[in-house]
Amino acid sequence: MFNTIKKIIKYPNLTQNYPRKALLSLPKTGKTVIDMKKCTGCGECLGRCPSQAIVRDAQTKVLGINLDTCVFCTLCEEICPSGAIAMTNQFELAEEKRTALRSSTLVIAEDQEIVMPYEAICAELVKRIRKTFGRSLNIREVDAGSCNGCDYEINAMNNPFNDVERLGMHFVASPRHADMLLVTGTATRNMQLALIKTYNATPDPKLVVAVGACACSGGIFRDSYATSNGIDNIVPVDVYIPGCPPRPQAIIYGILKAIEKL
Amino acid sequence: MTAIEINKKLIENFGDDIIKTVKAYENELYLEIKPDRIRELSGYINHEMGYPLVSMFANDETSLIGKYAVYYAFADRVSGILLILKIGIEPEQMTFESIAGKVHAAARYEREIKDLFGLNPVGHPNAKRLVFHGNWPRETFPLRKAYDLKHRPDFAKEKINFSKVISAGVFEIPVGPVHAGIIEPGHFRFSVAGEPIINLEAQLYFVHKGIEKLCEGESLEKCLFVAERISGDESFTNAYAYCQAIEKIAGLKIPERAEYIRVVFAELERLTSHLGDLGGICTDVAYGFAASQFKMMRGWAYGIADELCGMRFLRGVNRLGGVRKDFVAGKEASLIRQLKKIRSEFEETEVIIKANSFFIDRVENTGILSAQIAADLNAVGPPARAAGIRSDVRKSFPNRVYRQLSFAIPEHHNGDVNCRMNVKIEECYQAIDLMLAAIDSMPAGRIRESITTVAPYQFAFGMTEAPRGENIHWVMTGENNTIFRYKIRTPSFCNWPALCHAVKGNLVPDFPLINKSFNLSYAGNDL
Ligand code: SF4
Repeated sequence: MFNTIKKIIKYPNLTQNYPRKALLSLPKTGKTVIDMKKCTGCGECLGRCPSQAIVRDAQTKVLGINLDTCVFCTLCEEICPSGAIAMTNQFELAEEKRTALRSSTLVIAEDQEIVMPYEAICAELVKRIRKTFGRSLNIREVDAGSCNGCDYEINAMNNPFNDVERLGMHFVASPRHADMLLVTGTATRNMQLALIKTYNATPDPKLVVAVGACACSGGIFRDSYATSNGIDNIVPVDVYIPGCPPRPQAIIYGILKAIEKL
Repeated sequence: MTAIEINKKLIENFGDDIIKTVKAYENELYLEIKPDRIRELSGYINHEMGYPLVSMFANDETSLIGKYAVYYAFADRVSGILLILKIGIEPEQMTFESIAGKVHAAARYEREIKDLFGLNPVGHPNAKRLVFHGNWPRETFPLRKAYDLKHRPDFAKEKINFSKVISAGVFEIPVGPVHAGIIEPGHFRFSVAGEPIINLEAQLYFVHKGIEKLCEGESLEKCLFVAERISGDESFTNAYAYCQAIEKIAGLKIPERAEYIRVVFAELERLTSHLGDLGGICTDVAYGFAASQFKMMRGWAYGIADELCGMRFLRGVNRLGGVRKDFVAGKEASLIRQLKKIRSEFEETEVIIKANSFFIDRVENTGILSAQIAADLNAVGPPARAAGIRSDVRKSFPNRVYRQLSFAIPEHHNGDVNCRMNVKIEECYQAIDLMLAAIDSMPAGRIRESITTVAPYQFAFGMTEAPRGENIHWVMTGENNTIFRYKIRTPSFCNWPALCHAVKGNLVPDFPLINKSFNLSYAGNDL
């Protein structure tokens, strides 16, 4: 017992004060950017990007990166012959619109588009969430076909360093208790029904946050017989958090963006 | 035995059945045999010679030899040799003899082959669907070459039948695929009478993404990034096994420094993973203090990863022919300091948890996996070592570095949660010591060789000891530096059926604890 108490006193508080204070040491693998002054348009990165996240604009011939598809593998930075590509330490990348993450336009085949009452469109929603959720948010995590990288990072939100309960976020065991679904993975064929059922079991008003390249766009597993290209083919999404996996603070940023507390 | 001796012994006994023998590399011996003799030969190799079946897979070789092929890989773990039997199957026939009755570990592989290739194992005791759920149409086999990767067939509606235990007072508890905690999806069907579990059937493959098919025809470079994403917390070791296979085919010996750097990362991954499992075990018995200690140490381990390579999951470290950067140079002192800090904190925490009799009471004699079942199913990694099977790829198929560093395989026999926990505790120390030793004896020099072109239709195995156990990848190259076939067999595939046995007779509320002590990857199993 004495030893236990000694330890508790030794490490009274490990929690980082993100988002109130910026992180002390910034990650090295954040957003990838192309320096257009240096880029010669040779297209080396275009052909070798493992998730085909680098695209060339049909008209201007300029290269761009679709962050919803990028798996942050840093290969392009390494292979660019003119040194035009660099990883930055910017990790707060979540966006409400997937198009905001993309440099090429998004094509969703019409028959894949979901027609359902989508409350997020209502301008009133923001007000209602504030009124309904107050300052606390109950989250249900759904792994819809991830590699488990994203799930481990969501798990890490509960560790002593991040301790998201201090922000009023709480993970619940059932979708029936949840205000928000945090979805990882590509919505594999075998998980689609479970994802829809979980979505329907979550009471309105609710938020859906797509975590990671897989959930945003299908990531590296796009276009396979068993996956779908992003969970927004299955359920409506409020915020997209790119990354492979996004680090815990990037997920916190995305969630806060979703509830507009930032 | 050497490969030559093994070959001689088999020729003595089965000379007429062997069509062709190919010795590939130092430690792979391929024997093509008559398809109708597979049951006898595999039974002999498994039972008489004592080699476990470590992987089994099919390959659509109709474009090469006009046939489908099935490969059976057995491992001689004493002398570090893989013995692979191969049979050819005519496209008109599409059946092969099941060996599951003789070699129990084959049962799940054969079901997998049936689902993905439409090759029927004749005589299989229970050939129900494995990979596909009721939504996948019958007679659609994605791993045949003629199948278009992007084709997504219409949803079928078939009911899945679970094995039933029928008696008065027996009822079923369905759990999942969406669970209460933050974990991966799977469906568990418990048959219980009161509290004890009579039977557990795990319906997996909810996260099946078609990874093996996705890699076919893709560049060797791209598939490395896919390999990193097979299972998040085993990113490094999977990429490591993939690289080994390709480097073997290319006939490339990577620089010694690169090998050392890989060992440092492999052990760091093991440490991080085991710390997470230990924390999970404590969480599942509601031992909050200890759980938070392990989570804290895990956080430190992630910090090391971040400092070394900027990726918490050790992605982007491996590269065909070595590693991408010299991640260790200049960081030795800080690395050693942090590892020592974790080690001393770990020692103190171990003393505290082991002195807690309430805790030990929960883990002792819970979820026992017997040595016999472990051997029959070819269980691997910490669960196998906890049950008395002393296998470890780092010992049986060592690379240059592991051969030089000294470490011992943990010895336990009871096969319960406590033993699995102790194996992991010992391996945490071991991982730290191996890292320290590797940093200490790491030679200076180059960190990679370049691979320019790789010959088509060559094949080789890559093997690593993942945190969860023996990890075996088989790669066959295609034209223009692409992949023709990539078979991934992660440790979780072997250990899932072992888990289902270990829970029998235990209380339902102990299931999460037993499950955590195995800590299997769903993604690594489902692919
Ligand atoms: S986005 Fe990356 S880390 Fe997340 S599930 Fe997909 S492959 Fe894994």
